[in-house]
Amino acid sequence: MAAVHELSSGMGGIRTAGDLVSRMVMKGMKLNAAKDYVADKLHCSVLDLSDTFAMKEIRESLDIGTVLDRKGASNGMEAKFNIEKILGIEIPSVTNFKKKTGLL
Amino acid sequence: MSEFFTRLGDGAAVMMSEEDIRYDVEDGTADAADRGEIPELSKEEIDYLVEILTMPMKNVSVERGKEGIMTFDAGTLKLPVRAGIPVDRLATLMMHERVLCSDTMELCTTDYSYKSIKNFVQEEAMTMELAQNNCIMPIFYGAMPNLGQYTKPDGPIDNWSELLPMGKIAEARAAQEEAVEHAVSDMVFITGQMAEAGACGIQFDTVGASGDADVLAALMAAKELKKRFPNVSIEMGMAGEFNLGMHGQLEYEGERIAGLYPHKQVKMAAEAGVDIFGCVVNTNSNQTFAWNLARALTYAKACVDAADIPVVVDAGMGVGGVTNTNTTPTDVTSRVSKALLEIAKVDGL
Amino acid sequence: MTKEEYIEIAIDTMKKGDADAAAANMNNAIADGIDPAELLSEGYSAGIREVGDLFGKGRMFLPELMLAADAMKAVSAIVEDEIAKKGGTSEKKGVMVLATVQGDVHDIGKGIVASLIKTQGVEVVDLGRDVPAAAIVDKAVELNADLIGTSALLTTTMGEMKVLEDLLKEKGLKDRFKTLVGGAPVTERFAKRIGADAYGEDASQAVSEVVRLLG
Repeated sequence: MAAVHELSSGMGGIRTAGDLVSRMVMKGMKLNAAKDYVADKLHCSVLDLSDTFAMKEIRESLDIGTVLDRKGASNGMEAKFNIEKILGIEIPSVTNFKKKTGLL
Repeated sequence: MSEFFTRLGDGAAVMMSEEDIRYDVEDGTADAADRGEIPELSKEEIDYLVEILTMPMKNVSVERGKEGIMTFDAGTLKLPVRAGIPVDRLATLMMHERVLCSDTMELCTTDYSYKSIKNFVQEEAMTMELAQNNCIMPIFYGAMPNLGQYTKPDGPIDNWSELLPMGKIAEARAAQEEAVEHAVSDMVFITGQMAEAGACGIQFDTVGASGDADVLAALMAAKELKKRFPNVSIEMGMAGEFNLGMHGQLEYEGERIAGLYPHKQVKMAAEAGVDIFGCVVNTNSNQTFAWNLARALTYAKACVDAADIPVVVDAGMGVGGVTNTNTTPTDVTSRVSKALLEIAKVDGL
Repeated sequence: MTKEEYIEIAIDTMKKGDADAAAANMNNAIADGIDPAELLSEGYSAGIREVGDLFGKGRMFLPELMLAADAMKAVSAIVEDEIAKKGGTSEKKGVMVLATVQGDVHDIGKGIVASLIKTQGVEVVDLGRDVPAAAIVDKAVELNADLIGTSALLTTTMGEMKVLEDLLKEKGLKDRFKTLVGGAPVTERFAKRIGADAYGEDASQAVSEVVRLLG
């Protein structure tokens, strides 16, 4: 079921910009506004947000995590540090991490 | 006259003419409009739905650019518990992020009720911390208010489902009001712990399963949670297309809860601080897939039109037009996906 | 007052769930020479069907439904007394054993069905939820029941209804009890496939089917 929905109508998660658009929708932003917001922050088109080829390059250049991990690339919490800065939002777990490590 | 492969509400395959499919679509949207006192689908929307239902492809998808976000209730229950795959919950989350490419995911436990979690919330919080360190996508924590768990023998309160048939209506209502107090206290405590552990969002799932008191408890808990953790997203997914009136007189902010349909449920949820509303429309196993999907779209569209917050529609087994069978056919699921995004213009599923 | 006026009041008392007013209306009608059975059928039964429809649409709630069921019971008792006075029988119309099948704990819908069937003069013995097929059959035999009704809300538990049918056949009891099945994933097709005698899509249809099965 999950796989079918993802293929039929899902944004594509971290293959594309699904996680990023979701973060804005989770803030109460309607879908199209969230897509516009993320596209603006990533300096790409709205169509690029669900295009695997375009987003692979963008994600790698911004170092915000990709499906296939690469040596030296950010992952997990590291990637979220970068996402927080790029989207201009607070991610609760990143704040926790900063507090625990004396960054805040 | 040519016939098209489609299905009945329980998933059984059937061949139907376009004329019969259209009749069921019109009947389904009329049924929702009558019950919910909302507009029917327009002629153009009906035409497009019939087109989707009669597309020859086995699976269909949205047009490029019209994708929505995917959320998952009962998230980590599906692979390790229901499918019996021997992986832990963290691995499940990573599989969703890396293999299924889910947009978001939910961490949850097998007894999907907030009351049960109280006993091991610290361990759940530890798992959330671990998940947050490892995952890039947003992770929710979720469970159900499940007010029934507060009744004897599972809880301290008399069972209103037993009191009502005995005609003890005042006692049944008092029992539900007492259960609300317990449930709010538990939910605020547990969701607060998960928020402190770094959850990106909290999900109140299947809200209203025990009636209008269940809804009131979730709304009150959401309001308190939002006050304490304004940066934590709240998603509220409902149990049915209208709030079942087990109590019948409960109000939230001066409005009766029982009997509210999605386009009014969403307003109440938004007032309580909910960020994403999960609209639910029940599938009737006896009607056709066409009838059920038309009905689901009618409710969902009215909900989206009324909402100031994003609306996701529960499109799992037996809801949102999806047929009522455990292994849902992909032709059904993909058509539901496409129609909800393109016709009802929902923000996600 | 005319029969039509009594019918109108009867429907209204059902919608209000007012047992006292319902009983008073029936007593007044009988005193006016109105046939109580006709008033029961055309007035009160019509009223409770309307209540069922409103409940199904979320415009009336469970407490009101239960009050209406109580009012119906009060009126039915008066009618039975009246029939008995005229030399008829006021015996119960049948005995029904009702249960949610094994593995399933959902019983809100079953409770509504039980309450509405009782309004028809049928003795309903509700065995609760998560009840094994063998226990249902044993109780039906013990009570010499006429009907066995089972409910399931899960696709994973509806198979227990077939277990019950198979058990009845195995014990040679299939002809002794009529069976009625219902619940969200259950359909008429499923009912036929497993050999159940009737299917109730909702509480209102369950009542009609019980009345039909009892002849």
